[in-house]
Amino acid sequence: MTSGILWVISWCDSIGFPSDLPQWFYALVALICIFCFVVVPSGALLTYMDRKLSADLQARVGPNRAGPSGIFQPLADLLKLLQKGSKKEWHWGENLWLGVHTMALYSTLAVMPLGSLALLVDTEVSAFLPYWSALVLALGTMLLGLSQGSVPGWFGGIRVAAQTLAGSFPALVALLCASVRAGSFKWSVLAASQGFSPWTWTVASNPFETIAFGVFVISGLVLLAIPPLDGGLSTSDIHGGVSSHLYGRRLSLYLFGRFYGFFLWSVITVVLFLGAWRLPLGLSESLAESESYKLLAIIELVLLLFKTLSLMLLITWVARVNSRSRVDQITDFTWKVLSPFSLVALVGASICAGWRAFS
Amino acid sequence: MSNSIFGTVVVYFRSVFKGAWSIVGSCMTAFPYIFRWGETRKEVTEGYPDPVSSKTADDLLPRSRGLLFNDIDRCTGCRECEKICPTQCITIEEEPGADASKTWVSVFDIDFSKCTFCGLCVENCLPGSLVHTRQYEGAAYNLTDLVASFGRGQITPEHRAKWAALRQMSESDEVVL
Repeated sequence: MTSGILWVISWCDSIGFPSDLPQWFYALVALICIFCFVVVPSGALLTYMDRKLSADLQARVGPNRAGPSGIFQPLADLLKLLQKGSKKEWHWGENLWLGVHTMALYSTLAVMPLGSLALLVDTEVSAFLPYWSALVLALGTMLLGLSQGSVPGWFGGIRVAAQTLAGSFPALVALLCASVRAGSFKWSVLAASQGFSPWTWTVASNPFETIAFGVFVISGLVLLAIPPLDGGLSTSDIHGGVSSHLYGRRLSLYLFGRFYGFFLWSVITVVLFLGAWRLPLGLSESLAESESYKLLAIIELVLLLFKTLSLMLLITWVARVNSRSRVDQITDFTWKVLSPFSLVALVGASICAGWRAFS
Repeated sequence: MSNSIFGTVVVYFRSVFKGAWSIVGSCMTAFPYIFRWGETRKEVTEGYPDPVSSKTADDLLPRSRGLLFNDIDRCTGCRECEKICPTQCITIEEEPGADASKTWVSVFDIDFSKCTFCGLCVENCLPGSLVHTRQYEGAAYNLTDLVASFGRGQITPEHRAKWAALRQMSESDEVVL
């Protein structure tokens, strides 16, 4: 049993559940808790902040109706989308996509690193698992496009496939750069190799890791077709592409999947390069010694989410003030710039790691 | 220089740097707007005027163009508004009324699903019967509900009988029609 389940067991005991429940029950509770109390509120918060930021940049007011300063606008949007029915009949292609999408979503929930005490799966290949799940999520988006049975859907699907193929190579190499420094693909080791201070983060350890960080973030945007690099999904000549036939509940599921990919990529970027959940002044150790595990888990989670949402907001800022690139420009840039830079970063990071090992 | 390998590499790095710098430049251009420094504090849009945002019809600007209203008692049926309307949203039918000098505007329909509220009809209305009101909420569930009718209705035999009676009275008692 991993340490990730332990906090769930203690919480379940404190609520009053019987103590002889099977492990899969605790794992299920942990996944539901992470989904409902971490992922969904983060989605609502980022949607709200995105809309307010866009409004500020365009000298508009932004959401101001639902609740104070429009803070309940994401909830209102969700309720509106949920009450819209579907006018199309059941289609096996779309449901296949929904299956793939859901599979990708829940497989990454279990491996998402959310703190030293909230690691459900912490194995030697942990860092690769969200990467592959992100690929599956991209594959689901492509399948959705191909299942639409329309020209915008087909072209959107093919373009998403091209972007995913282009983005996956530099993303993988940049992932290796971070792991070369830590010496492992385990989340706990990757986090432990960094500290609270920005100077101890992987991104600041040497110039090659800084390049790797940039490549990892940008290739993630390409891989998952996130703005501003969402040309495969959103350019005007394909009228919305893969999502052109979606609305109501399916659109909300699709949009949430898109947000989830963005969120997942930002979380693993923070854990790999931006100091993960490391607390200052030996706070982790003192809290662990005094057995305040709940407090420690919450503080680590809040710090991680703060860094993650800041990174997402920064990317959103870049997306809102720059024009959207065409899909051929994106793939061209990814193959010709990101891939060589990622290889240079890997060679440099390996030399630095070797230098450190011998010195 | 660009033909050599070194030149190609220099051009490559220069173009990468140029691209990255343009991204940074556009972000910095928008930077003052996030913190609302100086002139960027002002919002260029206004909230939708309704009681929630403390704006009501009374707070609208003096020359706001709301839904149209036609005072049919003043309307002469001259069709100037119908002719000038760029979207042909006004339909007028008129026929001789009780007096030969006056017309009976039996149909005066404005289709607000077509109207762009340009105000040309109001500007060209000779008797000044067509005006913009201060009402701006005209949403409806059916397109047919968006047609506003101001006409007097078709002339019926009862009307004609009544006018004939009035005409007889006017000949004897000088009643003004």
